[in-house]
Amino acid sequence: MSFLRAFFARPQTLAGFCIFSAIAIIALAAPLLFPRGPFTIVGMPLLPPGASGFAAGSDVLGRDMAAELAFGARISLLVGIASTIVSIGAGGVLGAVAGYHGGLVDDLLMRVTEFFQIIPSFVLVMVLVAFLQPSLASTVLGIALITWPQVARVVRGEFLALRQREFVAAARMQGLGAGRIIFGEILPNALGPIIVIATMVVGNAILTESALSFLGLGDPNLMSWGSMVGGSRSSMWVAWWTMVLPGLCIMVTVLALNFIGDGLNDALNPRRGR
Amino acid sequence: MRRLRYILSRLVKAGLVTVAVVLLSFFLIRLAPGDAATVMAGQAGYADEAYMKGLRAEYGLDQPLPAQLWKYLTAVAHGDLGTSYGRGQKVLAVILERLPNTLLLDAFALAVAMGGGIWLGALAARRPGSAGDAAVSLASMLFYAMPQFWLGMMLVLVFSAWLGWLPPFGIETLGADYAGLRRVADIAQHMILPGMTLALYYLANYARLTRVAMIETAGEDYVKTARAKGLSERQVARRHILRNAMIPLISYAGLQASILVGGSVVVENVFSWPGLGTLAYQAVGARDNPLLLGIFIVTALLVCLFNLLTDIAYSIADPRVELT
Amino acid sequence: MRLDRRTAMGAMAGLLAAPGAAAADGRRILNAMMTDEPATLCYPLNNTRLVQEICGNINESLLLFDWQFNPHPNLARAFAMTPDGLTYSFHLRDDVAWHDGVPFTARDVAFSCGTMLPQLNPRSRNAFSQIARIDTPDAHTVIFRLKQPFNAFLLSLMASSAPMMPAHIYEGADFRSNPFNFKPIGTGPFRFAEWKRGQYIHLARNEHYWKPGQPGMDAVYYRLCPSPEQRMVAMESGAVDIAMADDIDTVVTSRLTANPGIVARADAYNGTAEIVVMELNQRRWPFSDRRFRAAFLHAVDREFLVKAIQFGQGKVAHSPIPSTAPYHDDKVLTKYEYNPAKARALLDAMGLKPGRDGMRHRFGIMMQPDGGGVMTRGSQYIKQALSEVGLDAFLEATDWPTQLRRSGNWEFDCDCNSYGEYGDPAIGTSRFFLTSNIRKGVPLTNLQGYSNPEVDALFPRAAVAVSRQEAQACYSRLQQILTHDVAMLWLYERKPMFFHNRRLTDVITGPNGPADGFGATRPA
Repeated sequence: MSFLRAFFARPQTLAGFCIFSAIAIIALAAPLLFPRGPFTIVGMPLLPPGASGFAAGSDVLGRDMAAELAFGARISLLVGIASTIVSIGAGGVLGAVAGYHGGLVDDLLMRVTEFFQIIPSFVLVMVLVAFLQPSLASTVLGIALITWPQVARVVRGEFLALRQREFVAAARMQGLGAGRIIFGEILPNALGPIIVIATMVVGNAILTESALSFLGLGDPNLMSWGSMVGGSRSSMWVAWWTMVLPGLCIMVTVLALNFIGDGLNDALNPRRGR
Repeated sequence: MRRLRYILSRLVKAGLVTVAVVLLSFFLIRLAPGDAATVMAGQAGYADEAYMKGLRAEYGLDQPLPAQLWKYLTAVAHGDLGTSYGRGQKVLAVILERLPNTLLLDAFALAVAMGGGIWLGALAARRPGSAGDAAVSLASMLFYAMPQFWLGMMLVLVFSAWLGWLPPFGIETLGADYAGLRRVADIAQHMILPGMTLALYYLANYARLTRVAMIETAGEDYVKTARAKGLSERQVARRHILRNAMIPLISYAGLQASILVGGSVVVENVFSWPGLGTLAYQAVGARDNPLLLGIFIVTALLVCLFNLLTDIAYSIADPRVELT
Repeated sequence: MRLDRRTAMGAMAGLLAAPGAAAADGRRILNAMMTDEPATLCYPLNNTRLVQEICGNINESLLLFDWQFNPHPNLARAFAMTPDGLTYSFHLRDDVAWHDGVPFTARDVAFSCGTMLPQLNPRSRNAFSQIARIDTPDAHTVIFRLKQPFNAFLLSLMASSAPMMPAHIYEGADFRSNPFNFKPIGTGPFRFAEWKRGQYIHLARNEHYWKPGQPGMDAVYYRLCPSPEQRMVAMESGAVDIAMADDIDTVVTSRLTANPGIVARADAYNGTAEIVVMELNQRRWPFSDRRFRAAFLHAVDREFLVKAIQFGQGKVAHSPIPSTAPYHDDKVLTKYEYNPAKARALLDAMGLKPGRDGMRHRFGIMMQPDGGGVMTRGSQYIKQALSEVGLDAFLEATDWPTQLRRSGNWEFDCDCNSYGEYGDPAIGTSRFFLTSNIRKGVPLTNLQGYSNPEVDALFPRAAVAVSRQEAQACYSRLQQILTHDVAMLWLYERKPMFFHNRRLTDVITGPNGPADGFGATRPA
């Protein structure tokens, strides 16, 4: 109860939560709402929103923009969540181990994360996706590869702080192994910041996926908001909605996620300020 | 003396990072199916085996992997980043051709973002909780959530397609061959939209950082003392609050510079800006491995340089900070 | 909220003093664009539209053609044909020199038509294979003796098909590795000046050009402009003066046609008479079955292709000979109207029943690498139309080298292409249906493997027919057979738009459009 009250303390968190839920529902229900799918040509091209029953208009091929936007939501959310899971998984484990053990392991991790900060990460993910052939899997992998370092740093920080605490010393005295301590004792206490950073990572992942699709490096058989914007480069000069609407969807989704992250931060980390 | 030793140690570190970059990229790029000879032959329009064998020998692609790696590392140590597959020019030459365009755009974006951001942030800090303050917060959230390519295209839609005020593509007017001051003005005009696209996200963040830092510092003792001494509000703001708020700003500026130099691929693509980002994108499409490797290395070195400069600026701004 | 477009145009034109046709030093410059850099500037070697348009300024042909396709003197000041149609004599001008100063003589003509063009250019090979002998009794006379009369012989000398090449540069050496492929020498109004890679190709005025008063401009620049929106903006803002066939995407042509400062020509490519087609590899089943091909055409709404994909710039094609070209005969054609039910019935009759997923057959459509433009969109629509009758087509994206290699080596199920007729079916159409033109490894030939002995007999007969009625009778029968056989999937006739800035005049002077060069162009 107190969690919910703290979570919804700010009005924008409520707004964000509602908006994100709506988007998620539309994404899940897309095949029911638009049984013909997003790729079917259903009318004349470049109809403005509202014309001939197309609420969001039609694109340069005559497809229903509303269907495309709904199916695009599926890709954005899928890639966002999948790459976050991989990223949190990998970054979390590595950061936990480094933070707990300290010393050489920690040094090594720090050097590796620094390395990832120094190289141009977007170029790296472009190279990876292009060379592995653009697909859902390569996109998820690529995004996870460039986001895990920041997750690792946060988790490491948490573990560094928490390992000094009494309950950890107590657990060690009980003879528990490092693995049990990391995952059984410390992790539950570190969950708060991890969850908050997860929402940020999802937001970043959605932005990165849309940038890759925009450049034509997304899965060509899937409808994505980024590829919609990328495909509208000519048509936007005569039909603004083909470019504006998909980008608006991306922005609103990421914004909603950020508000949710703020709310979670309020609820889970009351000690820390903003 | 200590500063010198610090700089040297950072240079060594940069060198190690370069080697790591080369190793990583070298093997990463080998992931690509099909070798460079096939790609180059395809581009030239021939496809016979003899020609491709000749290409492989010329570029040393028929050597065993460790030999290729060693050859490359020694070449890099001498400043030779190899030859671009698709263009036939030296990689370093191609990069140096495009680098100034990116640096120019980044410098402009940095200046606008810092200047505008600090000014807005200071304004907001003066009246915390006001509508202006809320507006700055909202703007910063919006720009944070907005995809950069979309922001760029929106600016093109409004300022080029609808209003016709600014040119949407390229670095200068195609075919005009301006010179001197007219050329400078032409380039400046072309720089506005892409520069603003890059700047707006960071501008909002600078505003927020400035605002927070100034509000916090405003509560500090030495500021209260300064006010008690009779200094005007503006003098207090300038001499004390801003100076101390600089530190997080400097570190953010360094971060922005690092991100910009390696990350403006998308914005350069939207505006067809002929910089390093566009080069990287073309190199990916052409599977031009030497060029890609070269871009990785140059970018990494530049980032190390910016980090070093940031730390030095940091230590100047706040003598309490130790250089370790 | 949105400003009136005209105001916007005006504002655009006012951008930092739009560069005019006059450069700072008073030179009259013509700015055109290229979508990507050509592989070489040797037109016989690189037979693409872009090279044709650039080299149209550098190389010329013996004859020029007017809007009715009648020949007129050009490099040949006079020409004649014997009544039996077996001998053509050309009397060359004696005041023409190559850009390097060497005089243009009969030797160049004999070399070009006898050796270089037939070797490199499949269209020329077809046309010039009729030549038995070329005589050059003196430096300014060329006599062609044909094996049989060929009524399209003069048309085959159009600039786009037969540019004259310098013998003193190319004779005796390997054509492909000649350095002059990158700095071409011709007789035309402009000479090659500079090729700045990644930026532009610069042609300069030929001071010693033989046509008085020409060229009207001092220089032509072809500026590299890879993205279609960039090209549109460059045209609208006046940064470039000319937008050629593939420069502007059909999506945005409406913006340019509405622009008061721009002239739009729909007839600039009449000489090419292009048809957009799909080719099926008829060596593979089920493409070898005529019913499959008919079903394909019934399944696709070609009117929609023209209206929605080409945005109205075209016309449905029902014949291998375009409706605007001579010998087109509407009466004999078998037409395949849009009728998915008929398509399904044909496929059922063939034994191609739908499987569990509703699909009868899966095959690949090899797309053209046009960066998401008209051809890509067309392919996407066709894929959908086919799926509605149970044909599962997957789209294959390629790049140019791959496309040329795969099509030449017959490694495809279905591909997209567009072919020009170039004035006469004997030049542009026969090459796709003759058994003798089935050549592995060579693109732009009879890639489908279509073979019909009656067709093989009719095409040459039509080409050598002495009277027009006889030729028409042959071509009518050919159209009847080919459309009945669905020898190729003709989609629509394409009318590419040509745009130029209103400040220039005499830009398009004949049906060849830019392929005839910009010699006559001058500021308005």
